[in-house]
Amino acid sequence: MKYALYLPLFILLFALGCDDDDVLSTQEVDFPISFRAEFGGTPLAIQSADYAYPTGADLKIQLFQYYVSDLELLPAGGGDPVQLSDIELIRWMSATEAATTTRTFQAPIGDYVGLRFGVGVSPDLNAQDPSNFAADFVLNENEFWGPSTRYVFAKIEANADLENDGTFDTPLTYHLGSDALYTTVTFNRTFTLDGTQDPDFTIVADVLKALADDTDSFDIANPDQQRIHGGNQAIATDLWNRLADQFSLETR
Amino acid sequence: MPRFLLLCGLFTLFLAASCEPDAPICENCPEEETDAPITGPANPTAYTLEVPSYLPRPIVDETNPLTVEGIELGRRLFYDRIMGRDSAFSCADCHKQELAFTDGLPKAVGVSGRTGRRSAMSIVNMAFNPNGFNWDGRDGKLWEQAVHPVEDMLEMDEDWEAVLIRLRRSRDYPQRFRAAFGIGRTSEITQELAVKAIAQFEMTIIAADSHFDRVVYRNTEFFTEEEQLGADSLFFIEDVPVGALHPGCGHCHNAPTFGDNRFRNNGLDNVSSLEDFEDIGFGAVSGSRFDNGKFRTPTLRNIALTAPYMHDGRFNTLEEVLDHYASGGHGVENEDPNITGFPLSERQKTALLAFLRSLTDESLPTDPRFSSPF
Ligand code: HEC
Ligand code: HEC
Repeated sequence: MKYALYLPLFILLFALGCDDDDVLSTQEVDFPISFRAEFGGTPLAIQSADYAYPTGADLKIQLFQYYVSDLELLPAGGGDPVQLSDIELIRWMSATEAATTTRTFQAPIGDYVGLRFGVGVSPDLNAQDPSNFAADFVLNENEFWGPSTRYVFAKIEANADLENDGTFDTPLTYHLGSDALYTTVTFNRTFTLDGTQDPDFTIVADVLKALADDTDSFDIANPDQQRIHGGNQAIATDLWNRLADQFSLETR
Repeated sequence: MPRFLLLCGLFTLFLAASCEPDAPICENCPEEETDAPITGPANPTAYTLEVPSYLPRPIVDETNPLTVEGIELGRRLFYDRIMGRDSAFSCADCHKQELAFTDGLPKAVGVSGRTGRRSAMSIVNMAFNPNGFNWDGRDGKLWEQAVHPVEDMLEMDEDWEAVLIRLRRSRDYPQRFRAAFGIGRTSEITQELAVKAIAQFEMTIIAADSHFDRVVYRNTEFFTEEEQLGADSLFFIEDVPVGALHPGCGHCHNAPTFGDNRFRNNGLDNVSSLEDFEDIGFGAVSGSRFDNGKFRTPTLRNIALTAPYMHDGRFNTLEEVLDHYASGGHGVENEDPNITGFPLSERQKTALLAFLRSLTDESLPTDPRFSSPF
């Protein structure tokens, strides 16, 4: 009969334990952020779509990827930014993938005035060798040029039909990155996270905008502009700047 | 109604008959023999896979923790012909240690000399592949992969039930399964435990001590002039001159594991449409025609030991491989854009070959940890 006393106590303890957890978990919410790739304003289709390039060629995009470093929320009233992630590799490489991919992060409830991230690999992480990480981590040798040139921040790969003869036989590979090119993107937005009316954020990147705008298109017919790799980032700067400048944030 | 019953009866008979192994192993053996208690040690010793610091950290499969006893059991199963039809074919018959666990044939040859459709793959450095196994990546986990060779008609062509009966009745295996997995009865010897043990052994096969490693990471040897040329200005991609057509092997086969395990069309076939590949490879796994003709980029470690080359063994020599890459692809729409074709002088070719040969781990073919225990 003595036990009868312990039982409610035990249940109470258990219940309290649960409560504690609840209190903790209400301070943080799941905060999904989507990433969408586009080509000229329409959702990007890897391989399956023929895209018209302003200089007259047709393109089939094979790969589009970029790293996002230090994805952070900026709290209202100042204070330290809240880091959602130190590194993400955002990538489209297969015809089976949707143009929008969503990652879910943990964020404290509260009021915020902005979202910020670095395009590329932050200098801290760029100094780390791939062998420091597990082979399935996003920083790995396949996105790494070598000991002096480090990680490839972004890749755009396509096959072009320059002559409009229906064969996509001109490969284009733009592999960009270096500490000097690392760029921080900030979106100022006022929003509240409380788990009820959280905003839907979509970060949009447009492959075409990285290559061309109304007045100036990267000349993909010039053999010197069909490949950018490794230590040769001189002609990459232009491409990179356009890529890093064209990110937009959709809020719903 | 009686008709229905008859049909049911026939159907059951049919089902039962089709489950019967081709050649019944032991029709009159008493039931208990496959469900006897096992005694002996049952506390497997955890094993940590150590790899040199210059390799990435191995990918840990939480569904199959490594143990000393599991690895040892797996090694026996890998080499034991008890796993194949009529106890006459083993994994090692196609994955020979002296050839870095390949077979030297263009396409693998299984039971009764049947030719398979692909080339046997090297089983080294499995611990670094996150993208599924086989040329088309169809098996997500290494232990899942080991299920298929046993029952594949063109490989070991055996019924798992027959294999399990042999293992359960063997004199030696029940204790070994108990030591590795802590089981108490022979009936608990399952396909899953058998393939998990094999995968544990395979995970330990690490190749990381080649001339290349000793030059670049261990600093105990030097490249020849040729090897150096092959590495710096041909294979790797740190220093590609603007606009140059370059071998660019490092795009897909970068150090230190030398194979990115991604699915790519590296320009082998001149097909007129994506439907025309003889072997559609990854397309069959992803279900997308745009992935037809793509295969997983394998490692180039020990490449001098693993001829012939490619998923169908079409190239006999590394010279032929280089000629293929130098000629570029065929303008097929899903060819990887890093395949460009490039000029390659005789001197450069010799240099690139010298570099590729520096990737052989000379100790692997005879390493006693990976050799037959029989
Ligand atoms: C008849 C020859 C043959 C036999 C016997 C055989 N294999 Fe293989 N193995 C192959 C072939 C061929 C492939 C490539 C299969 C494919 O891509 O469809 C392969 C692929 C593999 C791979 C994939 C390696 C990678 O990098 O993805 C592993 C692991 C493997 N085999 C292990 C085994 C094991 C374990 C056994 C015994 C249970 C075995 N093999 C028996 C021919 C064989
Ligand atoms: C675009 C990526 C890519 C590039 C660049 C590339 N490879 Fe490959 N490599 C692959 C793929 C994918 C396979 C497997 C293809 C198949 O079997 O269908 C492969 C297979 C091989 C094989 C056969 C491996 C085996 O086990 O049979 C060798 C050898 C090889 N490559 C060497 C090279 C060399 C040397 C270079 C540079 C001249 C190079 N590769 C450039 C992707 C690439």
